[in-house]
Amino acid sequence: MRETRFGSFVPVLFALVAIWLWFGITEPAFLSPRNFYFLFMQSAVVGTLAVGITVVLLLGDIDLSAAATAGVCAALMAVLIVAGVPGIPAALIAMALGVVMGLCQGMLVSYVGIPSFVVTLAGLLGFQGLMLKILGIQGAVNMRDPIIRGITTVSLPPLLGWLIGSACVLIFITVILTIQRRRKAQQLELESTGALFGQILFFAVLVLGTVAMLNSYRGVPLLVILLLSLTALLGWITTSTPFGRALFAVGGNAESARRVGINVKRIRVAAFAIVGLMAAIGGIVGASRYASVSFNAFAGGPLLLEAIGAAVIGGTSLFGGRGSVWNAILGALVIGSLGNGLDLSGASAADKLMFSGAILLLAVAIDAVSRNGANQST
Amino acid sequence: MISEAADKAGRSAPPAHLSVGNINKRFGGVQALDGVAFEVARGEVMALVGDNGAGKSTLMKILAGAYVADEGDFSLDGNRISINSPQDATALGIQIVYQDLALCENLDVAANLSLGAEPVKPGWRFLPRFLRPIDDLLMEKKALQAIDQLEVRTLKSVRAKVGGLSGGQRQAIAIARAVGADSSVVLLDEPTAALGVVQTRQVLDVVKRLRDTDHAVVYISHNLRDIFEVADRITVLRHGANVGTWQTSQTTPDEIVVAMTAGVTTGSNHAA
Repeated sequence: MRETRFGSFVPVLFALVAIWLWFGITEPAFLSPRNFYFLFMQSAVVGTLAVGITVVLLLGDIDLSAAATAGVCAALMAVLIVAGVPGIPAALIAMALGVVMGLCQGMLVSYVGIPSFVVTLAGLLGFQGLMLKILGIQGAVNMRDPIIRGITTVSLPPLLGWLIGSACVLIFITVILTIQRRRKAQQLELESTGALFGQILFFAVLVLGTVAMLNSYRGVPLLVILLLSLTALLGWITTSTPFGRALFAVGGNAESARRVGINVKRIRVAAFAIVGLMAAIGGIVGASRYASVSFNAFAGGPLLLEAIGAAVIGGTSLFGGRGSVWNAILGALVIGSLGNGLDLSGASAADKLMFSGAILLLAVAIDAVSRNGANQST
Repeated sequence: MISEAADKAGRSAPPAHLSVGNINKRFGGVQALDGVAFEVARGEVMALVGDNGAGKSTLMKILAGAYVADEGDFSLDGNRISINSPQDATALGIQIVYQDLALCENLDVAANLSLGAEPVKPGWRFLPRFLRPIDDLLMEKKALQAIDQLEVRTLKSVRAKVGGLSGGQRQAIAIARAVGADSSVVLLDEPTAALGVVQTRQVLDVVKRLRDTDHAVVYISHNLRDIFEVADRITVLRHGANVGTWQTSQTTPDEIVVAMTAGVTTGSNHAA
């Protein structure tokens, strides 16, 4: 039997719920709407990068330069804005730069044949240097552009939040029921009615619950809508188009993909272009959220490691062929919740690092065990 | 000459579908194939046997376009053709199932069967083809058809991941993928090499179904018992040259073993 739509969500969702329950009991402030609002905002940059990184992980490659790429793009945008370029064109130029940086790395991986680990490690170092060069001596540029700032400061009015949330639920129900009806008409195997309503109920509770909670503080942040739309788009591309199928095929068995006529090299370059674009968007979100672009916010490693960690905690395999961009968002929330909760309980930096390491290890262990289980069940 | 021999040998005496002759292939100083002739008809399983290094894999790869012959005459249904690349072979309806099946274990059966040629939903013309939505239902229907055609009964669902299937089921799926691509010639390279008794039976049944659905099947194997079960004719190669072609019904495993190891001097009852 095929996994249901939410099948692969389960482990990471359990982890998230367990973390929320634990901090909810020990730190009552953790479960407040206000804290959730900040949790979402804090996790946004990591989440954006993690979604992009998931795409290259599906191929069995890795991108160590995503955070540095984000930094370079954010720095370029900030400098352009200071020089008088309006916010939106500056952001678009930054996104184009991200794509180009990804393309270059992708070509080195596919056409020159250097392992992605090495190419992007070189990228990590080189781009950090480039970022310093763009930012100048101070190593930071302030971000005052109202449009760019608006990405992370604007929240939707409560009514609009409800409307969008209900629309999502309605669309979900329509799509699921249509698929079921067509399957029935063509006499293909059906999902059980129970599973169907379970999925609908789960989705409705998740969406409407989130809207209700965010509305009781400031309303649904624009950023959440943007990020979820982007993830939905990438999720659709990776699971429902020939291009996405090719990503999974190359990650699962590159030789098989090559024999059926898939251009493996071009797929790889495209995946790196996507991660470059997502990194640039992550950089823009970061610049908006911190109200500045500074070397320390992007360089060094924490952001990159959290993003890769988020993808892996979400259940995306480092060996390619398995994973989901949606899970990367959940993984980012796990890492964000952990950091946020430990901050609330006054844990030291040392404790936070050790906890994050343990959670990452646990996630990969669950992944490995569940994979063994799946293989043995044959 | 070939048709005359086939007449003599009786049974179906099928006209050749794919027929090649005078194939020469050198790798550096080694003459891998020396004037080899080979043919296969529709609705027939032609076994290709020989000891290691006899040249059967080289011949197979030449037919599949993976190698290009230095010299050779190729014809399909009597028309002259040339095979210079795997794409040529595919376009002519010649499909090869390699020993390593090259399936994607992380994808389900239906996705594997239409990999690289997924049906997309109509409309969505504003998007390039590789970004249009896959028509999952059509894909599943096609997969069900392909599986039904080969009568793979043990497979419960085309939505099962290939990683969870048995060796025989995987072989059947690899064959189904080759057949699904509108092929008329299917080349099978050691399809039962790594399989147990039950799985081997499954695969042999699939091979018989291929013959019954009017495909021309070329079957490479070391296992004479399998060959005597499924093959209609047997072509024996030795040191890169033809030894002969026999009707399975008119020969014995011992005779084939002698032909493989020592060659044949008398043209007693072989059919080409």
